[in-house]
Amino acid sequence: MRRGGGARWREWMLRVEAVIFASAEPVTRDTLARVVGKDCSIDLLIDDLQDELRDRPYELVSVAGGWQHRTRTRFADTIRASTAPTRSAAAALTVTFNGESVERRFPPSATVARVKRWAAEKKFGMSEDEAGEHVLQIASTHDRPAPGTHIGSLTESKICNLAFDLVPDERVNGAAEGFA
Amino acid sequence: MIGPDQRAFEADVAKATFRLGQAEGRWRLIAVTWPFAFIVVNAKDGREYVLRLNCAGYPQSPPTGGPWDMSTNQVLAFDLWPRGQSGRVSAVFRTDWKSGTALYLPCDRESFVGHDNWRSEMPSKIWRPADGIVQYLELVHELLHSRDYTPPLRPAA
Repeated sequence: MRRGGGARWREWMLRVEAVIFASAEPVTRDTLARVVGKDCSIDLLIDDLQDELRDRPYELVSVAGGWQHRTRTRFADTIRASTAPTRSAAAALTVTFNGESVERRFPPSATVARVKRWAAEKKFGMSEDEAGEHVLQIASTHDRPAPGTHIGSLTESKICNLAFDLVPDERVNGAAEGFA
Repeated sequence: MIGPDQRAFEADVAKATFRLGQAEGRWRLIAVTWPFAFIVVNAKDGREYVLRLNCAGYPQSPPTGGPWDMSTNQVLAFDLWPRGQSGRVSAVFRTDWKSGTALYLPCDRESFVGHDNWRSEMPSKIWRPADGIVQYLELVHELLHSRDYTPPLRPAA
């Protein structure tokens, strides 16, 4: 099905926007396909929705493998100044291990330990012991936040992406070889 | 009159990250006799190890210390030290290092001396003043909960 301004297309646009608006997490292509059917071009629907929002203070963005509403950057100061409680401060996290990436949103209160358990044990199939031999390292840095670190302390904006690599923990060397 | 290092230490143990570790039962501060802080760290088998950490110069200078016996007020008997099977734990809890007065960690003041190579080999374990005592405790706690951890030779009294 293609766009054309018909009533059905309009209804699909509204449905897609409603689902994205209501969701606490980025909405994936598969989820949207359940709403409008597999024959409908999700990309064209998103294009039309983004066109419609061009003059609005919020936009529809691709984030963490899905789509999400986000206020435009230039209104960030205004929103902060209002002190109004904002809808979501969840962070979209990506964890990469052996070239494979998994994504999920976590609340700011989630700890690095919780994210590691989810990624290492649930997504990458490690045993608890194997997971214990690995740590999360912020991508492109040497920073390995302590297990008790809250995700919220690692992010700066209300909605953000944070990428980790799951890497083997460094071992202190020297025990067997004597010491310097 | 307490010095700036002790004030900085007391400020750090009042911060959320240290208190969170206490609330979760990972560690707890049991005494401070400056410059020594006595902190219990729990292990995965439920044992508790007291660390005596010399925090002189904190936080610019890293702490240094190791397992301590509060009842005898001396370094914990070596047969009561945590052990390891594959070397991960025993590489840090070395009874052959500094007579047991320092853990073999990059963030330990005494052990770091002469190990500039650790800066490049283990940058994440180099002392970070901004993280403070929690960094040291997190590393120890992680080891005591690792697959490699093995209880001491001698059962606890």
